[in-house]
Amino acid sequence: MLAIQDAEHEETAPEAPHLVISKLTCSLVGTSQTITLLPGTLAHQAYRKAVVVEQFACNYGLNPVYHEHMRHGGLQVVGRDAAGEVRLVELTAHRFFLATLFLPQLSSSAARPHPLIVAYLQAAQKFHTVQHRSEAKR
Amino acid sequence: MNAPLRVGIIGDFNPQLRSHVATNEALRHAASALSVMVDAVWLPTPSLAQADCTTTLQRFDALWCAPASPYHSMQGALTAIQFSREQGWPFLGT
Repeated sequence: MLAIQDAEHEETAPEAPHLVISKLTCSLVGTSQTITLLPGTLAHQAYRKAVVVEQFACNYGLNPVYHEHMRHGGLQVVGRDAAGEVRLVELTAHRFFLATLFLPQLSSSAARPHPLIVAYLQAAQKFHTVQHRSEAKR
Repeated sequence: MNAPLRVGIIGDFNPQLRSHVATNEALRHAASALSVMVDAVWLPTPSLAQADCTTTLQRFDALWCAPASPYHSMQGALTAIQFSREQGWPFLGT
């Protein structure tokens, strides 16, 4: 995507030269964090609010060295924690492409389905209709 | 009744992992809220490293990259993510 042919993950290739995914300075396993969302983004529309609390279970994240590179590639940072660390990204030129460092599924319940997952299924629903229409035309 | 939405989950399902079980459950919660049927299928990452994986991926209405790395096949996971990105399939990575 970013023309980094040897982009690597620190968990599986700790010695690689281009660690796009690197170990976080402190582990987020079992923590909750407050995340501030950028207005006008898919995530912001889904949550319908600008500040959310989410649960984490990870040790790795986007290496800050590549942030600028990613922005140029169309990957927008749309959610940050209180310290400004990247927690949520979206691909701008895409119908729905969203990646989180937290686990929205952990805070979903039958009574309170997670807004991001609801928005995701709505995107799937729309896409299904579009696909179905183009198939019918063939 | 409309056809169920087909969601392909990129990942190597492990019933011991809370995050994996929660992924299935969260899809059910959201589907119920929208009054739609969802047919979620886990796609083991080694199967996505095969040459014909595009045919498999095209059958879904959306793709979800599941938590818990390392994947059995990082190449398989990346191929499916690249497919979503380039072909415009709705994508969630958690």
